[in-house]
Amino acid sequence: MAKKKVRRAAGATATKTRVKLTPRDKKTMNSLVGLADRVVSAAEGRRDPYVDIPSRTLSNVKYSPRKRILEMGSGKNRRQLFDLSQAKAYMRTMLVASGCKRLLDQGKTTSLRGLFYMLKHTIEGSKENTFDEQNECDTIIEDVEVLLNSIREELHLYAENRGAMVGAITFTDKGDEINCARMGSGGYAIPSICEPEVIQFDKSKCKAKFILHVEKGTVWQRFNEDRFWEKHNCILTHGSGQPPRGVRRMLYRLHNELKLPLYCVLDNDPWGYYIYSVIKQGSINLAFESQRMAIPDAKFLGLRSIDFERCELSDSVKIALNDTDRKRAKQVARYPWFEKKRDWQREIQKMIKNDFKLEVESLISKDISYVTEVYVPERLQQQDWLD
Amino acid sequence: MAKKKTVTKGAAGAKPRKKVKKKVRKKRVASAEAAAPAAEPETNGEVKKSSTKRRTTAQAMAAKQRDISVSEFFAKNRHLLGFDNPRKALLTTIKEAVDNSLDACEEAGILPEIWVHIESTGVDRYKVGIQDNGPGILKKQIPLIFGKLLYGSKFHRLRQSRGQQGIGISAAGMYGVQTTGKPVKIISKVSARKPAHYYEIQIDTKRNEPKILNGKGEGVDIPPGDKGAKEIEKHGIEWVDQPHGTRVTIELEAKYQRGRGSVDEYLHQTAIANPHVTLHYLDPDGNQRDYDRAAEQLPPEPKEILPHPYGVELGRLAALLGEADGQTVTQFFTTSFSRVSPGVARKICKGAGVSPRLPAKRVDRNGADKLYHAIQSTKIAPPATDCICPIGEELILKGLHQVVPGEFYAAATRPPSVYRGNPFVIEVGLAYGGTAPTQNVTKDLLEELIEETDARTVRQFLIHTFNGLGAEAADRIIKTAGLGTRSAPGKLKPKDRAKLFDAMKNVNVSEGQMMDVLRLANRVPLQFQHAACAITQTIMQTNWRSYGLSQSRGSLPKGPVTLMVHMASVWVPFTSESKEAVASYPEIQKEIRLAMQAVGRKLGMFLRRRLRVKQQTDRREVFMRYLKEVSTAVSEINGAGQAALYDQLVKVAKKVTADADMQMDDRGRKIKAEEVDYGENVLIVDPTNHEAAINRNTKTGDDDGEEE
Repeated sequence: MAKKKVRRAAGATATKTRVKLTPRDKKTMNSLVGLADRVVSAAEGRRDPYVDIPSRTLSNVKYSPRKRILEMGSGKNRRQLFDLSQAKAYMRTMLVASGCKRLLDQGKTTSLRGLFYMLKHTIEGSKENTFDEQNECDTIIEDVEVLLNSIREELHLYAENRGAMVGAITFTDKGDEINCARMGSGGYAIPSICEPEVIQFDKSKCKAKFILHVEKGTVWQRFNEDRFWEKHNCILTHGSGQPPRGVRRMLYRLHNELKLPLYCVLDNDPWGYYIYSVIKQGSINLAFESQRMAIPDAKFLGLRSIDFERCELSDSVKIALNDTDRKRAKQVARYPWFEKKRDWQREIQKMIKNDFKLEVESLISKDISYVTEVYVPERLQQQDWLD
Repeated sequence: MAKKKTVTKGAAGAKPRKKVKKKVRKKRVASAEAAAPAAEPETNGEVKKSSTKRRTTAQAMAAKQRDISVSEFFAKNRHLLGFDNPRKALLTTIKEAVDNSLDACEEAGILPEIWVHIESTGVDRYKVGIQDNGPGILKKQIPLIFGKLLYGSKFHRLRQSRGQQGIGISAAGMYGVQTTGKPVKIISKVSARKPAHYYEIQIDTKRNEPKILNGKGEGVDIPPGDKGAKEIEKHGIEWVDQPHGTRVTIELEAKYQRGRGSVDEYLHQTAIANPHVTLHYLDPDGNQRDYDRAAEQLPPEPKEILPHPYGVELGRLAALLGEADGQTVTQFFTTSFSRVSPGVARKICKGAGVSPRLPAKRVDRNGADKLYHAIQSTKIAPPATDCICPIGEELILKGLHQVVPGEFYAAATRPPSVYRGNPFVIEVGLAYGGTAPTQNVTKDLLEELIEETDARTVRQFLIHTFNGLGAEAADRIIKTAGLGTRSAPGKLKPKDRAKLFDAMKNVNVSEGQMMDVLRLANRVPLQFQHAACAITQTIMQTNWRSYGLSQSRGSLPKGPVTLMVHMASVWVPFTSESKEAVASYPEIQKEIRLAMQAVGRKLGMFLRRRLRVKQQTDRREVFMRYLKEVSTAVSEINGAGQAALYDQLVKVAKKVTADADMQMDDRGRKIKAEEVDYGENVLIVDPTNHEAAINRNTKTGDDDGEEE
């Protein structure tokens, strides 16, 4: 019965809309309508409507040693309408689904914040709002993604642009040719949606030999100003801290489609380790996207906990570890994908022993361009990195 | 009643009833004499300082030493009897008269109906009339009962009754004569056919004898019928025509004030504790209030018992032994005490090393001492407990329900227990919920209350006038009304009064409201010295938090709760002469605690249940709120009919929360035993339909009460 209905409903909406749905949109639309139909049939059968949302917690994430990425397990959380603690979340889930349906119908995309404002209103007969904060909406969107097995892009949603890129590469973005070697000081802002429909690469137009990913915009500026990418013939990216999905997807596609190796220069602190881990294996929260984003061959170039001695840094650049740092470091050390790697265990133990962390910027104390002229070239030369 | 007790010891030894009367008087005089030297310190001081010049001689002093009559003593020390101030005097007078009336009616087996009438006759002067439908009093007894202190039938027996010593009403008469000079007027009628007797009596304080003023010292007979009725009216007495009964009218200097420790409160509590009584009360402002009886049956007649050996003190034991004519020690024990069989008596004698055959009179002080200690170490069955007539759980519920507005009532009567050889029973009744006294007041009544009060600030006025209203609640009312904390109630402008009235109606006072405690001893309300009373102390020591009430450490619990605690006993241990607080014997406290825990548990169940129902209701509301959103969203996605889907979801919601529905209708509103087992003796009513809550308003405010 559900199937029959799906088709009818999908057909009906399709005729109404002005925009023609892409095959991908049709798939999304089908799963959206299926979701709504289950509610109707439950109500008709006087049953309690529910949705089973794959759980996005550490306990439901499995590291696959063969694929070397994080995968989501089969654990699900049932969200019921007639459960006091879940009723509101259920209502929000349906709201987000209807919002996405509207975007699909009109063939438009909106930001996460845009959807938040689209759906935010006061519930009839009360003083309660459907959403009060954007982060309430964001988590529900992630729920809908896993629930429908459709990624954010397929729901016509995007996040704020974050992260930048320069380098010896030219590609097309929505039909426009982008030459990343001519991006000035600001670089190319990596969009939140980097799917093949938006960005197409051409192997012949890429002269770069590798990708260097740095943690923050400030460090990236240093490399860009020193024309590092020109000298070493590479692509230079940053992700403003924890790289957003757009940046990760871009790196994944560059790595896999253009066969470019990826090297990361991150801070020497638990946070830096974790960013590397996210790029390499995928994040716990978005484990369902790992296979489209994780780059198991990514290498950790620095900073290393031995760099304080190796580079003869002054005492003044040390930042003492606090309790959360220590706790987090031990947690990271216990991740199954770090657990078996002796080099990594040594690295983390060394940092805990040091009892201080180092930022990439600390290298400036040696010389302004030490990092671009000495540190990174040396590491690359010696093939001195952690895997 | 410490004075009383000393008398008891001396006098109770007297076996033949008739002699007793005189003995009592003599002992009383003796004790008064003993106290006299202390009152004249010069005399004492002089004897010691004999080295200096003597001021007087033993002979001269002897000339001044003489008998003090009981009435003289109490005329001087009237505060011992509860006549400390005009306000309390009014209460004590009414209390004594009502207690006597109730005792008389119950003893005669008549369902009591009592009329209380207070009328202002001048500045700080009131005429008080109390009438009952009792058996009446024989003509020759009237002057003695009302005109002679320490004359009565209740003192010499060990039996549960309200009055105990026979001072009360005659002392009230004496107080009246002393303060206004008006005699006590008594009308008593024994049967419909016989004429009523009318007496005007003054007490001769010097001789403690009644002095009859009318009918040349003989009293007057009033013929039955209309003619008699006119004659009664001529004397200024509001006789309610009854086939039999007694009416006493006393004019006295007094002060009428409502609130804590007032006549109103006393009658209110009496009605709760005596559900078989009908009370008609006409206050000085002409407001009539009727408390109808909730039970049509008299409590069973209490039995008289012999004292229990454990309760007897050494001095009294020796005195009793001395008066046991021609009895052996064994015979003495078996006939003078309860629960002593010849076997037990022999054991006591053996333990004391006294021969059981020894004539009781020949036991000396030392022997008595040994016997006394032997009694304590011998196992003797506890006293018979059928001599006590508790109110009973059912009647407590009825009485409370009749008088205290609320939604939940529970009662518990403990099995009899014993302290110091005296059997006693503790009963507890609890009423929860209902409207606060501040919300029951009508605007007119509030105006009157404001006029009457002598409180200096509005805050004081609120706290003192309304029972159970805490300081917190008073502050909140004042704040809501927007009045100054210091403003005097008398100076409030009409606008401010209106504001105060609105605030009283609107502020939810039950948050800061203290538990209202009604203490009763042998069905008589105790209104003063609550802090000294075992009942209050035990309530404070009990943890009420586990029963769903909030309570600060070492204080009464908070909430809209009325707790009635009744102690029935052949001898209630009061802490002082004025019968105002029960002494804290551990046995009594334990029983009080157990009884309170029994009702507390039931209250806890009720409150938890109500909380759950509230949660269930909230739950449904949450679902209902989101259903519209869900149905709109779904119909937007797949084009399903929004209205139809919404209706279907509502049906599911109702199904899911069906049990909440059921509980909502039953719990907290109607009684349904199979749902929650509160055990017995619980009454749950719909608070909106409560009679007392409605009656109070109209009765106190609207009726002008001219019918009497």
